[in-house]
Amino acid sequence: MPINYKNGIINEHLRVRNQAGIFDVSHMGQILIPLTQDNIKSLEKFIPLNINNISSNKCHYSFILNSNGGILDDIMLSKITYIKNEYIYIVYNSSRKSVLEEIFKKTVRNYEIIENRCLIAIQGPESFASLKEILNLSQNMNFLNISVIQYNVSDVIISRSGYTGEDGFELSIINKHAEEFLTKLLQKNIILCGLGCRDSLRVEAGLSLYGNEINENISPIQAGLSWAIDKTRLIDNSLNCSSILTEQLNSPKSIKKIGLIPVNKTMLRANMPLCNEAKKEIGYITSSCYSPILKCSIGIGYINKISNMSEVIFVKVRDKFEELKIEKIPFIKKNYKKGDVND
Amino acid sequence: MIEKKYTEDHEWVQMDGDMATVGITNHAQESLGDIVFIDLPTVGKVVKAKDELCVIESVKAASDIYSPIDGEVSEVNEKLSDEAALVNQDAENEGWIFKIKVSNTDQFQDLMSLEQYLAFLEN
Repeated sequence: MPINYKNGIINEHLRVRNQAGIFDVSHMGQILIPLTQDNIKSLEKFIPLNINNISSNKCHYSFILNSNGGILDDIMLSKITYIKNEYIYIVYNSSRKSVLEEIFKKTVRNYEIIENRCLIAIQGPESFASLKEILNLSQNMNFLNISVIQYNVSDVIISRSGYTGEDGFELSIINKHAEEFLTKLLQKNIILCGLGCRDSLRVEAGLSLYGNEINENISPIQAGLSWAIDKTRLIDNSLNCSSILTEQLNSPKSIKKIGLIPVNKTMLRANMPLCNEAKKEIGYITSSCYSPILKCSIGIGYINKISNMSEVIFVKVRDKFEELKIEKIPFIKKNYKKGDVND
Repeated sequence: MIEKKYTEDHEWVQMDGDMATVGITNHAQESLGDIVFIDLPTVGKVVKAKDELCVIESVKAASDIYSPIDGEVSEVNEKLSDEAALVNQDAENEGWIFKIKVSNTDQFQDLMSLEQYLAFLEN
């Protein structure tokens, strides 16, 4: 996947926000694990979900955790029926394949790492309209629903999900049908988009990226993602880090995730140090981009929770200290297709 | 006589008397991608060739711009403060970045001609 195609990052970004764009994210890891009680028990040592209790045909954002509560990866997990069998389907980061696949090898049985399927994301407000001309898509499919549908006599695993803050879909499609499918889609006023706008779209939407906001030394609670933990998993030791997470939940947070916008024109970059008025370092920027919607640089960062939230924050850009405003995350309103009355 | 030469850092330098107008080449703007901000140099700053003088921020990365020649910054392209994308649209004319009153015009002769720059890009 290139940084951008011929339209450039900003144009690709705006196409996804206003119409629709396609991301070929086939580099990501996909695995099917038979839904057996043994496999569930093994996975639940690392994953803070109650897999028996989660509804089928729904994607769940979760994590693979180490014994300190650190995040080995963030994942999308769902229970699906595929060729008449029930499976746990997990999509994971390509940069974490070796770490995760080692864990799967040691813990679960009869799994299949999917190598014969592409993963294609169609994102943007026009994605439903464009896709329904090619696929038999249900109107009732809402944000985070997942199902298996037929395309060209093969099964497509399709979820209404994505990584942009927009309505959209992710499709796991057999390799030999992917090119024909993409060619059809590209005739629908949708353009191919690259990694550059994939990053600027997710930063605007305030979504975490492995290696930036989250890593092996940060827990979901420290990363402001405790909403994704099933708290009933913390009452016993079946999750490998339940006592550490419980302790973190019950103590004041050590770091806080914040959104940042510079007061004057400058560009924030990941890893730039954040300072207080006395120019003492109090944190760092984890992600940043130029926001084509807000037309300025935006950033996500962590600051020590002990620092006074009302104080002015600066970032050191080369030899200058630039003043920052704290902004709410996400920077834009998310545009998901929810099934509620406000939809 | 107005003459235009190029540096290995992908800048163009147009010399008119002892006044050098400097920008980045079309090749440079294409590789940088969408340019969103330029930290312009301060007028009056005295520089030596190869000194870092300003920074171009594109959606991809920050890139240092070096002075191609010894001298003093005499003017900056203020239009770029609000419209950095002008460098993408017209890198080698309207998208000029700064002017330098040159103290050592001999240095200009050491820069590359267009033919030499194009050959440099090939390699």
